[in-house]
Amino acid sequence: MSEAPRRDPRAEWILRNRLHPEHDVLVAAHSGPTRGPTGLLRKNPHAVGFIGPQGIKRIDRSAGLSGGASGLSSGARGRSASTEVELPLHRVEHPDFYVAVVVDLVAGRLSSHDRDILGQARILAKGSEEQGAVVAVALGEAREANFEAAGADRLVSLTELQGQSLSGYCPEHKLAVLEAVEAELSPRFWLFPDSIHGGADLGSRLAARLGERPAVHAWKVDAQQTVCRGGSQLTDWHRPTARVLLLAEECALPVDETRHEARPIELASIPEVSALIEDLGQVDVDPSKIALGEAEFILSAGNGIRDWDQFHAVATALGATEGASRVAVDDGHMPRNRQVGATGTWVTARVYVAIGISGAIQHLQGIGQCDKVVAINLDDSCDMIKRADLSVIGDSQAILGELLRLAEARQGGTGDAAIDLTEEARHVA
Amino acid sequence: MWPDSDLKVASLVSNGQHPKSGRSRRASQDARAVELALKMTGRAARVIHVGTGHRDSGLGQYLGMGLPEITLLNADENADAVPVLVDHLKGTDLDIVLTGIHAEQGEASGMVPYLLAEHLGWPLVSHIADIQKVEGGKAEVLQALPRGQRRLLRVPLPFIATVDNAAAEARQYAFGAARRGKLVDEVIDAPVDQARLEWESHPAKPRPKRLHVAKAKSAADRFKAATAKPQGQGGSVLRDGTDLEKATAIMDLLISEGVVR
Amino acid sequence: MLPEWLLPALVITALGLFAIGALRRILLWRAGRPEPVSLIAGLMAMPRRYLVDLHHVVARDKVMSNTHVATAGGFVLSMLLIIPVHVFGLDSRWLTIPLLAATVIMFTGAVFVYRRRRNPPARLSKGPWMRLPKSLLTFSVSFFLLTLLASDLLPENFGHWVLTGVLLIGVTLGLAELLFGMGWGGPMKHAFAGALHLAFHRRPERFGGGRSTGLKPVDLDGMLGVAKPSDFKWNQLLGFDACVQCGRCEAVCPAFAAGQPLNPKKLIQDMVVGLAGGSDAHYAGSPYPGRDVGQAQGNPHQPIVDGLVSAETLWSCTTCRACVEECPMMIEHVDAIVDMRRHLTLERGETPNKGAEVLDNLIATDNPGGYEPNSRMNWAADLALPLMADKQEAEVLFWVSDGCFDMRSQRILRAFVKILKAANVDFAVLGNEECDSGDVARRLGDDATFQTLARHNIATLSKYRFTRIVTTDPHAFHVLKNEYGDFGGHYDVMHHSTFINELVEQGRINLDRFKGGTVTYHDPCYLGRYNGEYESPRALLAALGIQVSEMERSGYRSRCCGGGGGAPITDIPGEHRIADMRVDDARKVEAETIAVACQQCTAMLEGVVEPRPEIRDLAELVADGLVVDATPASTATAGPSLAEEVH
Repeated sequence: MSEAPRRDPRAEWILRNRLHPEHDVLVAAHSGPTRGPTGLLRKNPHAVGFIGPQGIKRIDRSAGLSGGASGLSSGARGRSASTEVELPLHRVEHPDFYVAVVVDLVAGRLSSHDRDILGQARILAKGSEEQGAVVAVALGEAREANFEAAGADRLVSLTELQGQSLSGYCPEHKLAVLEAVEAELSPRFWLFPDSIHGGADLGSRLAARLGERPAVHAWKVDAQQTVCRGGSQLTDWHRPTARVLLLAEECALPVDETRHEARPIELASIPEVSALIEDLGQVDVDPSKIALGEAEFILSAGNGIRDWDQFHAVATALGATEGASRVAVDDGHMPRNRQVGATGTWVTARVYVAIGISGAIQHLQGIGQCDKVVAINLDDSCDMIKRADLSVIGDSQAILGELLRLAEARQGGTGDAAIDLTEEARHVA
Repeated sequence: MWPDSDLKVASLVSNGQHPKSGRSRRASQDARAVELALKMTGRAARVIHVGTGHRDSGLGQYLGMGLPEITLLNADENADAVPVLVDHLKGTDLDIVLTGIHAEQGEASGMVPYLLAEHLGWPLVSHIADIQKVEGGKAEVLQALPRGQRRLLRVPLPFIATVDNAAAEARQYAFGAARRGKLVDEVIDAPVDQARLEWESHPAKPRPKRLHVAKAKSAADRFKAATAKPQGQGGSVLRDGTDLEKATAIMDLLISEGVVR
Repeated sequence: MLPEWLLPALVITALGLFAIGALRRILLWRAGRPEPVSLIAGLMAMPRRYLVDLHHVVARDKVMSNTHVATAGGFVLSMLLIIPVHVFGLDSRWLTIPLLAATVIMFTGAVFVYRRRRNPPARLSKGPWMRLPKSLLTFSVSFFLLTLLASDLLPENFGHWVLTGVLLIGVTLGLAELLFGMGWGGPMKHAFAGALHLAFHRRPERFGGGRSTGLKPVDLDGMLGVAKPSDFKWNQLLGFDACVQCGRCEAVCPAFAAGQPLNPKKLIQDMVVGLAGGSDAHYAGSPYPGRDVGQAQGNPHQPIVDGLVSAETLWSCTTCRACVEECPMMIEHVDAIVDMRRHLTLERGETPNKGAEVLDNLIATDNPGGYEPNSRMNWAADLALPLMADKQEAEVLFWVSDGCFDMRSQRILRAFVKILKAANVDFAVLGNEECDSGDVARRLGDDATFQTLARHNIATLSKYRFTRIVTTDPHAFHVLKNEYGDFGGHYDVMHHSTFINELVEQGRINLDRFKGGTVTYHDPCYLGRYNGEYESPRALLAALGIQVSEMERSGYRSRCCGGGGGAPITDIPGEHRIADMRVDDARKVEAETIAVACQQCTAMLEGVVEPRPEIRDLAELVADGLVVDATPASTATAGPSLAEEVH
């Protein structure tokens, strides 16, 4: 209760009255941001600043770096960071219907796509006078999956079924679970992320099994009408909302204003499954064999590379896919299928490290879709540096040498080694 | 081991369209399915199309890949392909049926293989990159996972597989081969897809991009969100320092991005 | 003395053997596909073609030209005289003395041939060709002495039978090389096949100063390209047989110099192997770089690719026509290469590397990059270019070409628009109605796509009225000018260098002097060799006050940038890059700027790693030097109206 903001009319009155003897004392105490009646932080603009030596009011905006009014801002920052606002809990005791969401759980976590779908499910659940409940169906290991915050009222969570772990590829088993959910809860809507992580596959299987015609690539959905994106992204289909929905990314905003119970549901019975498809496990893929267009992490070499063996060693140590600029390919250092750029391959890597590449326009075009670009170059005026999120100016050979040592130290399994090295670096600096 | 003359592989192909020009062409995933079938069985690969067959459309391009013929199940644009295909496939002794994942025209729901699998009672493997071998009535199939990863699956014949973009690229089509290939017509009775006639189709509007809405809990947060330097506008540049510091900075970024584990 | 009948018998036998060999050779050529030629007119024109057109090419090397005149002229003359003198035994000083003179001339020529063969340049073939000067010398000396002995010019009984015997052996050897060898595929074959090749050349327009560079139209319902030697037209086969293996093509071929597996001379010789059957084991010239000689085998009915030549050889060609320009026998290498490529693309579907993708894009989006067809005018969003669709009529139709999608080429296009506006030219563009010209598709062997694009463009162009088409792209220029005619599109097409030069000459634009360092000019193949435009760009540079410091290889001998014929798309690896070699040429004359007149050349030369000379298109140089003082133009039009207002 002490946390709840309370008004003190007397103090407010004193604060308003500049002639009150206690005014200065109170202002000093209140000069940090205070919470207004709605819980929003309020700042008293009159209290900002101090009177300088010439008798003129000064506002120090250096945010505590100089002596001045440092206490104020740092105190304010600390407080706003520490207050984690407790969201109101949304409870559905006796739902009139269910909206089932089968989440992808990529690497055990709710993906942003999953959260969008749960947001969409919320909209469908509260749409009418009836009160629906969102059932999240989580098949496989869930780690750090915060179903309460993501908007699940109920949770069906299974990690294995009849001795079969649900983490691998076992669409037949998963389908059996969904059929059991259908039998017990008969959800009004079935929502799947239309994703390559299994959502689209499972949704299509369920739709075929239930004899429902799904709405696929749906991106604008309400209880009556759905807009689906057609083939090649060239048409929009307006159709009545289907029972099974395969939803596109960003179809709705994720839940962020309420908390939910995520009350577990135990399924009564799941029929015996005789699976035909056997999962023999993931195959080790040599990063250097991955097609450039698919690769997630590319280490790309250009004209500035002198020691090619070192470059290959770094790529192997970091587990990166190798790429190259046109010049490096033309000079025969790298095969043609490794050329990045408009005249080579358009890449979509999340991280792209360009070593000794000055950044011809065709090359920059080719890496347009990369998230993070790191550049290592001698010339700090080249175009690649302008594009890069992190640029390191220096001799690529020396930096690669250090990078190789760091990577090998990490591979050695001792995280400490890396830390030691960073320590050492500080000493050198 | 390929081509395997005992194996009977068919590809279901649809008419594609180019994403930029909308012009009719072979669909890229379907063409990869044909490529895989050609690899596995050579010119014995069967290719089936339901629709109105025009040599000038994508069909000609499939023929140009070196197919002697395409079985054409004549049905008009509004027909439902699934019952037609179920009837046709029931009458054959195929081992493997390959399709693309999504069509490039129309609804593109990607449901055809799933419905076929359901009606025929065959297993279905999705997003395959390759079929490695067929032994003792079981096939070992390489499934494509995101970011170039692969998973090995074993599945008994007969089965249906959808071919991912990670599969081997379709060979170039040749004008001469397209001219020589035949379209073998089969007259069939195709039911009309009634439900779809009730839908409306519009040219796709660009979807609104989600803005980074900062749900600020305080004015300070809102202020910060409004004035923060937008991402991607020039990165940090490290000019000074030792090579080790620079390498460490890069390594830190790689670790925080999760590409180095 | 030896029997009287011996010498005539020898000559007659040699002539007879030559005739049989020649007939056999003709039959080999006839294995090719028919192509109508006018027999009589061709044969009638042959001497002139030989003496004028061919020698025009040969005369680029003065010494060799004179040598050939002496040797060949002497031989032909002596052969004509040997028949009456030695076969029919006509004994007249009016014949003997000229015959002696002819053999002396031939001897002189043969001495020069011999001298050159002592240290032959790498481009020349060795093997039997090393024997040829000796055979020529033997023939001329033997016949000279024999004629002298047989004549009454010497005192009786001068000759000894041993000497006569030796001479007879010499005569036999000489006749064997020069007559028997001519019919049966020896080095002298070139004379016989070459003469007929000139008579029945597939591009007779080339003789008499004309130009014929456009590819021949293809019937898409007929045979698609050349799979085996017998698929060539018969006169193409004849043309291959005419090769003298002088290696001039090899010396100028950019792909050969870059170490790509192409040697035009070897290619033609492989075609000869193909038409006659056998292997290339006897080939004695430079190989395809990186490939061994002796692997190629074939006959008229066996596939060429992977038997005689590898596909990479065919795809290395940049279609720069340097070999054709240089060939003294006027052989059409590029036609043959594109014919064979056509088979690979249209029948086998084997266009290497990015070829398939580019062709796919051309089919689906009408541009090689696969860009949205409706975004053709994005580059000019701020220029307010008049559209043909709105105007219907304009003096100049500005053919923008696919450069509109490339950010570098856009700078050239914008520069050209600036010039057009400064000169108040009444122009318009097709905008989104324009398609790729089809150049790349055609050079990659896809005539089907080329014809689709060409027909589409011709249909579009036929909707509007304009006096001429102007383009900044020499490739589009060439195709529009020389290859659309076969499909009913006849236009007055101009390259922008010619057009701007005309504007300057007419005084419609004024130019400042160029303020920069040394400038050299790179002739684009499709402007120069294909269309003979060497002068306008230079005149334009002169108008800018630039003294062009010419590279060693310029004008008709200009070295390709490596960007033609789809070579950057098929991308066959070599030891060097052609563009690097071209920039080295420019570095040798210490050029600070390379002026070019082609966006493809700009792209290729700018791909060379810095530091290198700056690459500027003519349009950019002119646009920079434009004197924007518009008063002369505006007063000229505004003057009278002002005067009227005063009244």
